[in-house]
Amino acid sequence: MDALVILIPLMPLAAAAAIGMGHLFGVISGETDESITADIAGWTISMSSLLALTLLGAGLLGKNTGFYTVGHWLNSDTLDIQINFITGGFNVRLAALFSVLLAIVTHFSVNYMHREAGYHRFFFILSLFSSAMLLLVLSGNAVGTFIGWEVAGLCSYFLIAYAYDRPVAVANATRVFVTNRIGDAAFVLGAGLSYAWLDSVNWSNINAVSAQLTPGQATGIALCFAVAAFAKSAQLPFTPWLARAMEGPTPSSAVFYGAVMVHAGVYLLILLRPIFEHAPLAMAVVAIVGLMTAVYGFVVGLTQTDVKSSLIFATSGQLGLMFLECGLGFWQLAGWHLCAHAVVRGYQFLTAPSLMHNVPSNYIETSRRKVSAPAHAHRLRRVGDVPAWIYVASLQRFWLDQITDWALVKPVRGLAHDLSYFDDHIVDRIMGIPAPAIRTISSLAQMEEQMVGAQLDNDSDTFAQGSGLAGKLTEWMAAVLHWFEDRFVLRGIGKNAINYGRELGHIANKFEQSVLRPRYLVLFVFITLLVAF
Amino acid sequence: MSNASFPVLSLVILLPLLGAIAVAVTRNVRLAKNIALLFATLELIATGVVVQLFNANPGNNFQLVERYPWMPSLNIEYLLGVDGISVLFLPMSALLTLMAIIASWNSVQYLTRFHFALLLVLEGITIGVFLALDMALFFLFWELTLPPIFFLIGLWGIGSGRRSAAIKYTLFMLFGGVPLLFATLILAANHATVTGGSIPQDMAFSLPVLLETPLPDNLQALVFLLLLLGFAVKAPLVPFHTWLPTVAMEGPAQLTAVLTGLKLGAFGIIRFAMPLAPSAAVEYSWVLGILGAITLVYSALIALQQTNLRRLLAYASISHVGLVIVGIASLNMQGIQGAIFQLLNFTMVAGSLMLVAGFIQHRLGSTEVIHLGGLAKVMPRLTCFYFLFALASIGVPGTSGFPAELLLIVSTMLAHPSISIAALIGAILSAAYMLSFTRRAFFGPVTQIGIKQMQDLRPRELTLLCVSALLILGFGFFPNSVLKINKATAEAWLSRLMDQPVLVSKAKQG
Repeated sequence: MDALVILIPLMPLAAAAAIGMGHLFGVISGETDESITADIAGWTISMSSLLALTLLGAGLLGKNTGFYTVGHWLNSDTLDIQINFITGGFNVRLAALFSVLLAIVTHFSVNYMHREAGYHRFFFILSLFSSAMLLLVLSGNAVGTFIGWEVAGLCSYFLIAYAYDRPVAVANATRVFVTNRIGDAAFVLGAGLSYAWLDSVNWSNINAVSAQLTPGQATGIALCFAVAAFAKSAQLPFTPWLARAMEGPTPSSAVFYGAVMVHAGVYLLILLRPIFEHAPLAMAVVAIVGLMTAVYGFVVGLTQTDVKSSLIFATSGQLGLMFLECGLGFWQLAGWHLCAHAVVRGYQFLTAPSLMHNVPSNYIETSRRKVSAPAHAHRLRRVGDVPAWIYVASLQRFWLDQITDWALVKPVRGLAHDLSYFDDHIVDRIMGIPAPAIRTISSLAQMEEQMVGAQLDNDSDTFAQGSGLAGKLTEWMAAVLHWFEDRFVLRGIGKNAINYGRELGHIANKFEQSVLRPRYLVLFVFITLLVAF
Repeated sequence: MSNASFPVLSLVILLPLLGAIAVAVTRNVRLAKNIALLFATLELIATGVVVQLFNANPGNNFQLVERYPWMPSLNIEYLLGVDGISVLFLPMSALLTLMAIIASWNSVQYLTRFHFALLLVLEGITIGVFLALDMALFFLFWELTLPPIFFLIGLWGIGSGRRSAAIKYTLFMLFGGVPLLFATLILAANHATVTGGSIPQDMAFSLPVLLETPLPDNLQALVFLLLLLGFAVKAPLVPFHTWLPTVAMEGPAQLTAVLTGLKLGAFGIIRFAMPLAPSAAVEYSWVLGILGAITLVYSALIALQQTNLRRLLAYASISHVGLVIVGIASLNMQGIQGAIFQLLNFTMVAGSLMLVAGFIQHRLGSTEVIHLGGLAKVMPRLTCFYFLFALASIGVPGTSGFPAELLLIVSTMLAHPSISIAALIGAILSAAYMLSFTRRAFFGPVTQIGIKQMQDLRPRELTLLCVSALLILGFGFFPNSVLKINKATAEAWLSRLMDQPVLVSKAKQG
């Protein structure tokens, strides 16, 4: 039964390959071929979910060994990355749930996306995402999970940029991907540290020998994975990306940010439970971040004016609660919370577009009347009883985006700008431009003087001549001093040493000013820290 | 080390040169182009045969060795051979040249035959660089790459400053050549001193001999730094990198693809600089690591600021060289294998990206972001391939960039943890500069009228990019296929550096 697990992520991958290649080479295109695409995507994900359910059933009957290895993916020295899967426990339950949700959303999209431009592209991405997500929850090692993790993030990029001719959508997609990339870097760091300290990247080994780690090492690994989880599950300070991700078509919002992908972070924490239990500091961080995100999500969600935004902040808040549960050690509860939330939120997102049709037709009128009635508004304010600043902060989403821009994006851009200038105007000048080889005579006057016979450039001075050792030495010293005097003191001051000095001072001043800018200070502190390690 | 029955390596070097002569003497331009294509294809097959003949098992150091005396009075030989480090570079450079020839099929309008002949000459010489095991022969091939590149940039460049770009490139490379020559001479003379012979007769230039010759401590650092300086110019490492953006802007796309694709400098560091001065290499590996890290972050930050696709790719390529250097400096199996993997990977990724930039340039006359925008709508196929290559360059799983980058990052984590932070920052920045350029150039609404009439990839170009896309995906899914070829050689390379008697005694003292 264990071997079935290979097919679960492989089937949607095959579908993605078929749709992608077919669309790229023009075999599948246009409205007439929509049914082909829909069939490929729909059947494969249905098969996957059937397989996952079979695996789950077999697991409940006790027919699984819990682990299945296919072969080696990459070997280098002692780094041995296998293709292996976990075929039991929480992973399979989650895979079954996710695959069923994915199948439902795929079938929902068949009609929802009908006649949309990019129909085939949508199903290509959705299939790829299904594959990545199932790999993520089933993979038996950190690298496999990371592959799913990153490909899922990439699919999220593609779907946010679904309407790629709209600049806002693409800008948001880029921002989301780069934000997620920070989490990905933390994930790689965590995996690398586990390899360095535990000599393995298999989850089972990492968890089994986690007891041998010193608390410091356990905290290090746990914090790395926690940051990765924060980024993926949109916890503070990464939360704003989730609101930007609402640009995609509704089924994709449902499956990425409602039901499946945002839960990957919580899944990762639950998977790494043994390590976290050895790292109380990391647990505390997870709990605090979760609590803060929960509060943040609920406060900001209260003032949202469109349904998708308010749902997404609710999601963020619920995820915060799950992190809080993990941080406090209620792992079982967090697992159940995850599953229940995935189902409910997926349903809410799918029905969000038809909300207008479902509610009674007079709803909007009545609500508008209610809001516009002054007495009612007054009462609302009293019931809520919140200070005005919280209301403003909530509307502005606590300025998180602006703070990130100010603290991270702008300095990096500024640094890039300065370095680019430095490269073009200083490094290139010093290293690069071929200079004319001939020393040209600078002025006509100089030439005339030379023709007259004034030997201005003649350095050898026949005035001082000596004999014997001391004499020669003195002569030599005199020549050097004369040369120095002639070159630097007389000519220097006579020409424009003062100007040079002034210019030098100006440059030094400018340099100091730019060095004292916050971005450079932070950079120097950072470099010092790196060196100190 | 036995002479092979059939001189297949000489054939691999001579075949493109013969092709170049054939192209040059053919009167008919169409026929000449077809001859060039034929010879490039034959060369690809021949290099494939070399890979087949290569035995990846441990115990075989240099294989298919060919040895003929060349300048007997100086002990300079014509000595060729492959090992696990160099063998895969042969088919990759043959493939890249073939792609360059096909990509420039119609875009070269004057002196067409000369152009294709020069591309073939460059291919032959480059393969000579990979194969040469004699320092003097290597130096010859190394410097011989200059004339074809000089003419290729100067004659068929697309920028107005192509002539000065050609001069700039040549001057930089000549500057890099001097320390290499000095290092070679020091090594050769040292052999004579160690063996107790006289200077001109008992000098040795052959790499296998020099590897066995102990180098005194006072010369180690000097030789290492000279070799490093020489290769750093070609690699390129900051601050010797400024020729690459210039050449990328002024040179023809097919040549820039070859230049950014084949990282001869990094190969030289692996092949010569590290093993020839082993104790200095170990001692100064941190210098190399810091140089690499600076190059990595510095050029990634500059790439963030670029508005031209070709300049962006040039800086991205410099940044990736930085990562490779960091990997080499970490002195472990993951590092060296990842470095070789990444170099192979870049023949495809950087080369193909440059070719795509060339396609855009050829259609639109510019790769400046202000002239682009909304390309995805007009040219969906080109955008798809561009995106795949860009993802490979970022190192997204599924493409060949991922296993290479993973190995390199893991290796730095084991060796220099603080540099690995720089590598991770580089990974984040690479996503930022690639995607933000893509956003402005390929997505968004179509604003220029010229773009609306642009043609998508033609079948010739589509086939071309399909081949490299398949390779990129193939390496990404099955990285072991590459790693197992260079495993034995990489182990031998590493043990030569790490198991030195001098170091052991030093460690005992310490």
